[in-house]
Amino acid sequence: MCAALLAGSAAVNAFTQERQTGGHEGVQQDYQKMTPEQRSAATREFLGLGLMPDTAAAARGAPLFAQNCAVCHGKAARGAMGPSLITSDRVLTDEHGERLVPFLQKGSPGKGMPGFATMSDQQLTDIAEFLHLQVENVANRGTYKVLNILVGNAPKGKAYVLAHCMSCHTTETFAHIASKFRSPEQLQRNWIWPMHDGSITADVKTSKERFSGRVTEISDFRITLVDKSGKTRTIDRGPGVDVQINDRLAAHQEIVMTLANDDMHNVTAYFETLK
Amino acid sequence: MKLFAAICAALAVTSVVGASLCAQVSLAPNAIGKAPINNWPTFNGDYTGERYSTLTQISTDNLKQLAQQWVYRITEVGAQRGAPVPIIKCTPLQVNGVLYITIPDHVWALDARTGKELWHYDWVDHGGHLVGQRGVGIWNSTAFFLTPDNWLVSLDANTGKENWRKNYADARKQYFSTSAPLIVKNHVIVGVGGDAMDMPGFLDSFDPVTGNLQWTWWSTPRKGDPALKTWPNEAASDHGGGMTWMPGTYDPELNLLYWPTGNTNPVFAGQGRSGANLWTESIVALDVDTGKLKWYFQVSPHDTHDFDNTTAPILFDRIVNGKPQRLVAQAARNGFFVTLDRVTGKYLVVKPYVPLDYSSGLSAQGEPIPIPDKDPSVGGSINIVNASNWPAPSYSPKTGLAYVNSVEGKAIYYLTDDSDNPSGYGGTGAGIGREVRVLQAIDPLTGIAVWKHAYPNLSNAPTTVGPSILTTASNLLISGDDQKNLIIFSADKGEILWHHELNANESGGIITYLLDGKPYVVFGAGDSLYAWSLNK
Repeated sequence: MCAALLAGSAAVNAFTQERQTGGHEGVQQDYQKMTPEQRSAATREFLGLGLMPDTAAAARGAPLFAQNCAVCHGKAARGAMGPSLITSDRVLTDEHGERLVPFLQKGSPGKGMPGFATMSDQQLTDIAEFLHLQVENVANRGTYKVLNILVGNAPKGKAYVLAHCMSCHTTETFAHIASKFRSPEQLQRNWIWPMHDGSITADVKTSKERFSGRVTEISDFRITLVDKSGKTRTIDRGPGVDVQINDRLAAHQEIVMTLANDDMHNVTAYFETLK
Repeated sequence: MKLFAAICAALAVTSVVGASLCAQVSLAPNAIGKAPINNWPTFNGDYTGERYSTLTQISTDNLKQLAQQWVYRITEVGAQRGAPVPIIKCTPLQVNGVLYITIPDHVWALDARTGKELWHYDWVDHGGHLVGQRGVGIWNSTAFFLTPDNWLVSLDANTGKENWRKNYADARKQYFSTSAPLIVKNHVIVGVGGDAMDMPGFLDSFDPVTGNLQWTWWSTPRKGDPALKTWPNEAASDHGGGMTWMPGTYDPELNLLYWPTGNTNPVFAGQGRSGANLWTESIVALDVDTGKLKWYFQVSPHDTHDFDNTTAPILFDRIVNGKPQRLVAQAARNGFFVTLDRVTGKYLVVKPYVPLDYSSGLSAQGEPIPIPDKDPSVGGSINIVNASNWPAPSYSPKTGLAYVNSVEGKAIYYLTDDSDNPSGYGGTGAGIGREVRVLQAIDPLTGIAVWKHAYPNLSNAPTTVGPSILTTASNLLISGDDQKNLIIFSADKGEILWHHELNANESGGIITYLLDGKPYVVFGAGDSLYAWSLNK
């Protein structure tokens, strides 16, 4: 159930889904300005996930878990022959091994879970931290990262661009386009929907005057625009007030509403070659 | 009576003893479900979910006299986890001159005549998400409240004193509660939310006196159930989601609850849960006394877009092909408008009400068939944003139309976990392009909009797809835009009749009632509750 502006990375928008996709509401803060670590911490607090796992200990615990536990519980502790440990009461009530370590020493022989009495407390604590990190990786969507999105065919992408984009743009528009964005995902987002503050303009006619300019606010009842001289005008919309809206991004909105996934991937793969 | 209530209200402020002697609030369970006139006793006013008022005192002719009577602003609660300022997302209840409002961890009782606080209940949570709170449920002189960390709290409705508390879900497993309990006879029906750890959804029924559990219905099948064939294995079903976080509706004659179930888990990554994934993303009909499933209709089989099917299922009766028929309709978050026979669950209408291209058609049962290419993918997949959400829709028996504030727009959905065994959300979605908010008046017998109003705006759809809607017998439709305007439309034609700019967008539910013969319209907007009426 999540809020704020469009744009930004998908990782950013993992927090802002209600605004973004209508899904779940989340934290009402501006994640655009946060570092990945801050976003992760804010989501962790919002979700009430408790203490942050010790990642160094978890890294030490990873090979131990793989060797001793993964065959039953799966490599990411999400279950195999044995149950998933992501929602295990024993894991979720433990903070830094104080409950898990004594349990792991003895196991639960009645349920087919062996004890690990020969492992040191430190090793078992490291396994406990590894488990806490697996929970974090699942439950804290503030840590999610998009994978390698370059799955398209660049030559086909070039053909699409030549066929669809050149009535408005020239090759100059796209020269070095990939170098303008910090990730392929940013590139993909921005070629589909370029950000322009001034993309909506309006011509307003009242019984006495005419105004034209960049729209900064519009509702059923009021319009505010900034004209070429930088002057701001607010006009109440009533009888006799005619408002004509011009959207410079109308063609891009058409792309948003009709673009096929293959074409999206291919064009992004092509643009990524234009560094 | 008026004087008596006023004295009680005054005593309640100064003396707990005085308030308990007065006992001005008492709502017999058999009084719930009738058309609300002098009160607004449940989340939806009655059990139908129509949010239609038979009152006609406020009408097209006197809207100029509409004026604010009082405002109650929440001032004593600061920032909560994830929420810098309180936002009222509840539908207020009004019983015997007392209004009940909530935000996460807090309940207030207010004097409905003045907006003065009568009592305030403050819960200290130990976990849970503080994203919203939809309101209390009232049974006789008891108010029931759900906490973020999944406690059902029984309060004396006259004093705010706690009678008992009962925990029904583990917040550490990311279950959290935002709902308003639904009161039916001697049942307190409690739904739950939660996504982050792939837990199964459920609905609980509690005894209103003792708090004892009467029954539990699970949103996904348990061992031995034939519906397990819609899951690859029992473990996937046990971790399959289907939260019940919005109040359902109820037909007293059929004795059936109609409950909307939320998204499937893992949310965006469907590769580990092949199949339709019953009974997530469905409307389910349950016997209110036993919790037994009577029928289901799955609105989004094998959902991978967080289509979280929680918009209200509205109950209404119509003549269809010359015969009276009991119907249930929903403007679903997946963009389809659904009308079903509520006795059998058989579909009459399943039709897109926003532009969408992710479905290849309907199954024999009328369920939309998703196109696999539109699933979230590593390279990104474009699909619609949620077309509606929890803010209340409405149905007017007068116009025969269903009303919903919808959103038309797209998002790119990425799969962030492409393993065979994903868990949690497993992906993410980010809106792209312009999202247009559109108020629609849909004929539920055809699924076609009779009129639409697109709200002009620069920014995209707001944080919630609200505001909520209320319709009246005087042909009014009360709702609003996302630029702080409360707007009254004509319900039959969609003409704007009146508007007023508030300090925030309407954010909960809009209610109406007569108090001392005076018609009120009451709603929350941001941190404030507003009461409007007609000035002479």
